[in-house]
Amino acid sequence: MDVVDNLMAGFANALSPEYLFLALVGVVLGTAVGVVPGLGSSMAVALLLPVTFHLDPTGAFIMFAGVYYGGLFGDSTAAILMNTPGQASAIATAIEGHKMARRGRAPQALATAAIGAFIGAIVSTALVAFFSPVIVELALRFGPAEYFALTVFAFVATSAVVSNSAVRGLIALGIGLAISMVGIDSLSGAERFTLGVPQLFEGFSIITVTVALLAVGEVFHVAATAHAGGGVGGSLRRAGTPWLGRADLRRTFPAWMRGTLFGLPFGSIPAGGSEIPTFLAFGAERKLAARRARRGTGEDEFGNGAIEGVAAPEAAASATAGTAMGTLLGLGLPTSATAAIMLAAFQQYGMQPGPLLFERNADLVWALLASLFIGSVMLLILNLPFAPLWAKLLLVPKPYMYAGIAVFSSLGVYAAASSMVDLWLMLILGLVALMMRRFDIPLAPVLIAVVLGPVAETELRRALAVGQGDVSVLVDGGITLGIYGLLLAIGLVVAVGRLRARRAAGRAAPPVEAGRG
Amino acid sequence: MSTDATTPARATEPDAPPRPPWWQGRSELLVAALVLGIAGFIAVQTAAIPVPTGTEPPGPRFFPTLVAVFMGAVGLALAVQVVLRPARPAQAAEQAPGADAAEDAPVRIDWRCLGIVVATMTVFIAILQPVGWLLSAALLFFGIAYALGSRRLLFDAVLSLTFSSLIQLAFVAGLGLNLPAGILGGIF
Repeated sequence: MDVVDNLMAGFANALSPEYLFLALVGVVLGTAVGVVPGLGSSMAVALLLPVTFHLDPTGAFIMFAGVYYGGLFGDSTAAILMNTPGQASAIATAIEGHKMARRGRAPQALATAAIGAFIGAIVSTALVAFFSPVIVELALRFGPAEYFALTVFAFVATSAVVSNSAVRGLIALGIGLAISMVGIDSLSGAERFTLGVPQLFEGFSIITVTVALLAVGEVFHVAATAHAGGGVGGSLRRAGTPWLGRADLRRTFPAWMRGTLFGLPFGSIPAGGSEIPTFLAFGAERKLAARRARRGTGEDEFGNGAIEGVAAPEAAASATAGTAMGTLLGLGLPTSATAAIMLAAFQQYGMQPGPLLFERNADLVWALLASLFIGSVMLLILNLPFAPLWAKLLLVPKPYMYAGIAVFSSLGVYAAASSMVDLWLMLILGLVALMMRRFDIPLAPVLIAVVLGPVAETELRRALAVGQGDVSVLVDGGITLGIYGLLLAIGLVVAVGRLRARRAAGRAAPPVEAGRG
Repeated sequence: MSTDATTPARATEPDAPPRPPWWQGRSELLVAALVLGIAGFIAVQTAAIPVPTGTEPPGPRFFPTLVAVFMGAVGLALAVQVVLRPARPAQAAEQAPGADAAEDAPVRIDWRCLGIVVATMTVFIAILQPVGWLLSAALLFFGIAYALGSRRLLFDAVLSLTFSSLIQLAFVAGLGLNLPAGILGGIF
């Protein structure tokens, strides 16, 4: 079979000592960044972008893949031990995982998370490898209108549907689109919004934007709330074997499988990454546990550290990460903030993910897919016995940790283009990020918009040019109609859900403002 | 939402003013103003974009116009929402059920600490080129550690210098990145 041959070639490539070493460095660095409170996998990828500048593309992406998965692992370690999830994907894990840790079952919680993430990653990567020809075939039937529909889907899904407040999500989207338009227009060559500054002709660098919004914004946020004491401290470290007993395994195994099933579809649609599937998986486990308790076939430990509540979200999160890589490689569509940064990295190497990538850079793609498997195995080996060691990183005093993050951020932004303008932009965008965090405006839509904004504009103008101004070309054809229809359906489900939640909240407490809206 | 009712009540609790000032809970209007400002900026700049001759109909002004209109609309929507419903709902609690909601809830900003951090970073960027990476990065590390409460001044100074030289060594000597050498350029 073609896929098997390709994958074997990929493994042969990725198992070379150099690439194995890079994968190892990637997972270790990624885990280290992920463990830091408030930092997750997307920040790990952003901060380590400059490190990979001097590697060949294949090596760089093998390292990225390691950083991505390592960041996920590290983040859930921090979530369990410290209750400091750095990214949406680890929030669900933190809920029950930290309670398990408080009950002295930290090793079991960490092992459950590590194995869950491993299973999710392996299953989803295998699916991606075997279905990539199908994805590529589908992508080849896409024209400008279809790609524009996909970007609209990504924009609306990440900003309006996923965020708690649709208006704030859309504001984040607008800020991202505004940033993405700066520079020379690729179609006409017109200079836009540069204010005559030559360094802005190429637009804002995605590295500057990401590091500023995520890392510098985090440093400012910590500084702004330093007096509040912060959440660092009171960590739980306890020695002990991370082995799961047979009773634990009987409970976690089905939960891992269910979590993986929740995660798989969400990686392939641009719905803001792993927040929704992790919470869906978490909710499903809670309902199942309640039902078991009612039937008397098991006890409902939710609220006191239920092991299923760690297993399912963790498997869901890493399954999402796996299929997100597939969507990125096959369609060129980033479905999460991390994938958006990786897309930018591809563009830096002059490559455009999508169907053509499989033809032109087949070696790289298959080596990357193979290294996803290798990275997962490495992480399992690293994390099962050493997870408590990672927690030692938390002993670094907070001032030094954030001072170090600030220095690394500046290094990354400066080294990307040796440009002082980028450093000033970093400072300004860091302050913008602080303001956004203060007012609960989500950051992920900004990143998605910065990366996909130019794609959306180019495809929209191409489609309209083909249709000679006729707007109906945008909804002409089954694929576009399907995409918009799916978006509409998701929007309706979310709107109904919110309405019901609001009504339930209104019953619980008398409504304050009757004449709103 | 039930939290809407509790937040203003908590704000007025400390036995003083019976009615909070109008701005209470409406500081987010600043965000709306900023968004409207960006929309205005885009609109003005869009009108000034030179359209090269021979450009096909949806030219370089087309998309910016859409974005300007979009941002104007969401900016207005946010302003209306904030005016009608001040004291933003404690979304942090929804986002992270089980996590310390108090940590993310509207906390008073520590302007002094934030000020030192921002000032340090400004100075760092300003002196990076003339002074060089080694000293300015050490200053950045030292300043932020100080702002966040570290008071072992001598130890911090040594640590900062060690940290910035290690990076210089690893990235310039090891990976061949280009960092400004500055006044210490002759030594290396």
